[in-house]
Amino acid sequence: MDPMIHVDDITKTFRLSRKQQKIEHTSDRIKVAVNHLSFSAYPGEIYGLLGPNGAGKTTCLRCISTLIQPDSGSITVHGHSVQDDPDAVRKEIGFLTSDLKLEDFFTPNYLFDYFSRLHGVDPEVSQARKKSLFSRFGIDKFAEVKVGELSTGMRQKAQIAISLVHDPKVIVFDEPTNGLDVLTAKVVTDYLKELRDEGKTIIVSTHIFSLVEKICDRVGIILNGTLKKTLLLGDLVKNEEDLENLFFDLVQEEAGEA
Amino acid sequence: MKNILTIFKKEWDRVIKDKRLVMSVMILPGLMIFLIYSFIGNATTSMMQPDDANVAIVNAPQSFINLYESVEDLEILNTVFVEESSEELYVGRIDEGNWDVWIVFDDDFETYDGTGDKPGVRVYFNPNNSQSQSVYNRFSGYLYQYQNALSLALYGDTTYFAMDIDNTEINQDIIAGRMFSMILPMLVIMFLFSGAMSIGPESIAGEKERGTIATLLITPVKRTEIAIGKVFSLSVLSLISTISSFIGIIASFPKLFEMEGIDSSIYGVGDYVMLLLLLFSTVFVIVGMISILSAYAKNLKEAGTLIVFVYIATILVGVTSMFSESADSRFVMYLIPIYNSVQTMKAIFTFETGVLTYLLVSIGANIVYAGILIFILNKMFQSERIMFAK
Repeated sequence: MDPMIHVDDITKTFRLSRKQQKIEHTSDRIKVAVNHLSFSAYPGEIYGLLGPNGAGKTTCLRCISTLIQPDSGSITVHGHSVQDDPDAVRKEIGFLTSDLKLEDFFTPNYLFDYFSRLHGVDPEVSQARKKSLFSRFGIDKFAEVKVGELSTGMRQKAQIAISLVHDPKVIVFDEPTNGLDVLTAKVVTDYLKELRDEGKTIIVSTHIFSLVEKICDRVGIILNGTLKKTLLLGDLVKNEEDLENLFFDLVQEEAGEA
Repeated sequence: MKNILTIFKKEWDRVIKDKRLVMSVMILPGLMIFLIYSFIGNATTSMMQPDDANVAIVNAPQSFINLYESVEDLEILNTVFVEESSEELYVGRIDEGNWDVWIVFDDDFETYDGTGDKPGVRVYFNPNNSQSQSVYNRFSGYLYQYQNALSLALYGDTTYFAMDIDNTEINQDIIAGRMFSMILPMLVIMFLFSGAMSIGPESIAGEKERGTIATLLITPVKRTEIAIGKVFSLSVLSLISTISSFIGIIASFPKLFEMEGIDSSIYGVGDYVMLLLLLFSTVFVIVGMISILSAYAKNLKEAGTLIVFVYIATILVGVTSMFSESADSRFVMYLIPIYNSVQTMKAIFTFETGVLTYLLVSIGANIVYAGILIFILNKMFQSERIMFAK
């Protein structure tokens, strides 16, 4: 099977300001956020990027979703190059992160229609999809309440629904359960599994082991911008191995190398 | 095009559906200008109205009384005819600001035959008191007229030459137009800028700060469409804000210029159409500049600081309209943004014959600048360093 997402040897660096150098206790002007990273994700699977804060997970996801470009290497989504044809990639993906916000002034209903139009979704299809997504996430009762007046959980659910206006083949989700209450987190993880079963390709980034164990089919462990290991969750269960122990072994190994 | 309209509509809705913004962007500017200018007009008018004039005169000759009574408004003129012995009393009052002028004519003032000592007139007033100064100015004028009349009666006509002054018939429209052209271009540019300033930074720097622009940037909409959609909607909204301010100015003019008798109805539909076309092209340039600064700024606060510098520079350009009688006649100058708008407005207000050419050159130049600014904005939307700078 051809991969839906193919990340091939990408590197991404950022220039550090003096203030950032102080915070990071380094004299280096350049920070390597992602270092020669490669992996693939396939239709009908949830691929997890597991790593601590600052490991490069979000940077990698932002590169895949065209918000930023890698310095070297290449990424393709459904055969479209992120670097050469970002508009085609944007049509294929739904990107969810706490960095992407909805305007407080508008209602979920207005914003759903707005983003549907921007994605070129047929109005009839859009209305049917809105009805289904809003009722799935319990937003229907709050459809006409301004985003700024919604509770944090409801706002995040609205963000999820709106990021899926165009029924994307690929869903990139940065820290999917961050800041969600247990009930909302369950709704979200169940929905991700449903989407996987529909044949969508899903990439999530997280630092929560239980989330990986619950929803991911494969997981890539990322430390200091480098992909250390890729594991099949099914194999872990079969071999009665513990993800957490494996992870900390890798962290220790990394610390030893450093 | 469809995406441009979608973005246009959303930016439009953001303002139109927000009652507070509608008030502050579209209604308040005109209303405030009307109220403030009308107030200034009323205050100026009442300042120009003289208060009661209090004059005490000793030995007033009847012919002098006849002279000033033929000119003064007798309802507000309070003249008392007193003895010279009360001088101390009136001088004291004048010093305290309670009386205006004290005049003493010598005895037998009108019996002088041209020989011996000339009769004298003594006047006392208080230059520290504007009312006293004003009454003194008027009465010293009457005294000079009176002096001339008496000289003429005694010595005949002693003047050396006779003057006959003629002039072109006064065209009130040109005079009024010149008045408008001194003030309006600067005000209109200021309103145009402040209208754009009240919504522009919010639409780009605000969205950047809140993270909502990233949501837009991951849609398959071209950055050029985002740039054009935003600039167009902000321009239309700014223009509405400016029209509101403009109506405020025009409506308050009769009160503001009451004393001069200036009438703003001298301009016809054609003049207003030219003005509107000019302003619409100018607002694109202004919104383009504000948008670029807003996109460059990391947050709303920084955008505000950057924009203020450009605002001050724009006002300085606007001020140039106050220092010239007519519009700049060098065509090349109409290629300079903002300056071209100020000078074309001056040409419209003063009914200059070359106004159409100035207008076309200015609009053409403004469209080119707007295109360049949109191109830069588009590039900025594509730059991750600019759009995601923390």
